[in-house]
Amino acid sequence: MKTKLATGLVALAAVGAMTLSGCGSSERGGDTPAEGGESAAAGFEDGAKIGVALPQKTSENWVLAENLFNDGLTEAGYEPIVQFANGGVSEQQNQIQAMVQQGVKVLVVGAIDGSQLGSQLKAAADQGIKVIAYDRLLQNTDAVDVYEAFDNFHVGELQGQSLLEGLKERKGEGPYNIELISGSPDDANSKPFFEGAMSILQPKIDDGTLVVKSGQTSQQQTATQGWEAENAQNRMDTILSGNYKDADLHGVLSPNDTLARAALTSAKQAGKDVPVLTGQDSEVESVKSIMAGVQYSTIYKDTRELVAATIDAVDAYKAGEEPEVNDTESYDNGVKVVPANLLEPVIVTKENAEETYAGDPTLEDIFK
Amino acid sequence: MSSLKQLFGGGLRQYGMVLALLALLAYFQIATGGLVLTPSNAQNIIIGNSYILILAIGMVLVIIAGHIDLSVGSVAAVTGIIVAIALRDWGIPWWAGILLGLVVGAVIGAWQGFWVAYVGIPGFITTLAGMMLFRGLNQRIGHSSTVPVPEELQRIGAGYLWEWGPNTGLNNSTLLLGVLAIVAVVWSEMRRRARATRLGLDQPPLWVTVVRVAVVGAVIAYLTYLFGTGRYGTSFPIAGVVLVALVVLYNFVASRTIGGRHVYAVGGNRAAAALSGINIRRVNFFVMMNMSILAAVAGMVFVGRATASGPSDGNMWELDAIAAVFIGGAAVSGGVGTVVGSVIGGLVMAVLNNGLQLMGVGSDTTQIIKGLVLLVAVAFDVHSKVSGRPSIIGLIFPWLGKGKKSEGTPGTEEPAAEVPVSDGATSRH
Repeated sequence: MKTKLATGLVALAAVGAMTLSGCGSSERGGDTPAEGGESAAAGFEDGAKIGVALPQKTSENWVLAENLFNDGLTEAGYEPIVQFANGGVSEQQNQIQAMVQQGVKVLVVGAIDGSQLGSQLKAAADQGIKVIAYDRLLQNTDAVDVYEAFDNFHVGELQGQSLLEGLKERKGEGPYNIELISGSPDDANSKPFFEGAMSILQPKIDDGTLVVKSGQTSQQQTATQGWEAENAQNRMDTILSGNYKDADLHGVLSPNDTLARAALTSAKQAGKDVPVLTGQDSEVESVKSIMAGVQYSTIYKDTRELVAATIDAVDAYKAGEEPEVNDTESYDNGVKVVPANLLEPVIVTKENAEETYAGDPTLEDIFK
Repeated sequence: MSSLKQLFGGGLRQYGMVLALLALLAYFQIATGGLVLTPSNAQNIIIGNSYILILAIGMVLVIIAGHIDLSVGSVAAVTGIIVAIALRDWGIPWWAGILLGLVVGAVIGAWQGFWVAYVGIPGFITTLAGMMLFRGLNQRIGHSSTVPVPEELQRIGAGYLWEWGPNTGLNNSTLLLGVLAIVAVVWSEMRRRARATRLGLDQPPLWVTVVRVAVVGAVIAYLTYLFGTGRYGTSFPIAGVVLVALVVLYNFVASRTIGGRHVYAVGGNRAAAALSGINIRRVNFFVMMNMSILAAVAGMVFVGRATASGPSDGNMWELDAIAAVFIGGAAVSGGVGTVVGSVIGGLVMAVLNNGLQLMGVGSDTTQIIKGLVLLVAVAFDVHSKVSGRPSIIGLIFPWLGKGKKSEGTPGTEEPAAEVPVSDGATSRH
């Protein structure tokens, strides 16, 4: 009987203790929330926590970004909290909530899906936290303060331009048969890549220099769900067997290196000559391929530069100022036009590869 | 010892999980320096995990009946996209969108229920097919793009109850709910005692009842305080209200209605249930259809929280729901499990997730820890259950465990008797 009573009392005491510990945590007290804009003038102090929410840890440049953010923010005197959301959108939502809970002053978000974070970002903004959209635009919310990215429309233009140059260089006189690939439809960046490229290529399609035999020229028709190589390869296989039985494929517009290599594999397996391929991200395999004369070009977006620009923006917020921006018109996310700080991408071909990659820790080794 | 058992009133397993939950809360509260038991974090835990808990409610019934449902994530996703597109393109009001979502869930549930109950394909296979089918459908309908949803639906997924009335220092809607909950607990205990007295049953002593009511009341009071003292405009989340309503409803259905008891009977001993005159097919159909309807609800709650329906929604949700059910005490062999237990199991996972994120632990390490927790929880299940029936593992991999004669482990020999059941459903697995 004594032990039973004792156990019952211990249980009661446990509940009581938790109640008491919770007592101090009332967040009420008559304050109205959202000092939002006013506190921007105040800035914040040294050693503040900065939250960085990155998407899945699936490609080299994201892994690099993690290290750069950790080192760079620590060096600049902050306490970084950098997390990957391998588990998908819901994990990223929870991570952002946890970062807000831990009291971060600035939130850097590389979104998995930029339209599904609205509630969490709003909660952050209500507490006066500054939100920086990193590389991928945050859509349908006004709780984003600045967009740090490379100029993705310009990336598309460079890709289109390099496709034309490659065709002239390697495939003789026109007209040329080309096919188009675009990125994942749920990634906000797919659209500017495609539209930038089409701004260069469409006039050539219209005047007959370029022929898209499959007839697939819209972003929706050319999309690659999840940026997955197998999806691009399957689509290319179908197009080649359907339209290129007796014709040559001269060039492929590919938005990134992974899909370019997928298209290459598809062409090789169909017994076709290597087409002129564009790419992006300067992945190691593709750089080697370019140096071997197979892939034609890729885009170099120095992650170090982007992370440094983002940390500059954090410093600006710390001082209570607005960060530097160079485009305040183009990025309408559905609710507001987000001020953007756009960095210049660099188009890389065999000629300028070595000098472009000098100093890049991963890529300079290829040339040694 | 018996009155202590009466005090806590449940199996050792369920009691164990509640203790585990309290232990986790205490550990993380200390490790994160008090960040866990704050109003905003508590609200985040509920909002961020309500959809998994809703799935767990349906999943426990499926598992009790001896099946499993792998398609819930895809069903949730396809419902989400259909509702999002309907609201955007057809201009129907938000409540019509919700009704549409429920209808979609019911139709899908009927489809899967048909294959499982009337054609006899095991639930595992049917729902595996369903997982692929509905994922594809989701991407086809939405063209793999993200579709935003209107304000009202967002409110259900991530919004709060209204503020009104005099300044009590708490959110009054939450206060009202807390008071109602305490009154309900006291009233139901009094009714239980009155009925036991009337029927002449053996009752636990009065002090046991009083302590039990006091403890539950104190917990409810604490939770009311926790949720009600958040920032002005926040309260116990609407998603939480939906969750609690569903838990109360399904707890009642599972333990007090004939239909609910039939589910336990079918899961516990199929042949005996059939011979007692239970319509096995109808029970199977009911659990599968119910699961899909709840999956539709979970999908809509999630889409509301995420403010948009996306092409990768629902990925891996089935595994989280199944983990919650097993941690909450369901037996792998079917026939055992409770709704409340599954919700507690789900909360254990949710608190674990939340605590690790607050500590800044990376996504990969969190996955490792979650996997280990699930393993340990089911290990307890295997060792504390005295069951000779083939388990789900045994059903899927019949070659496992052949030749092993140890009692109580999954995959044990002893196939269920090949009794030809009258309504044609075979006991062939």
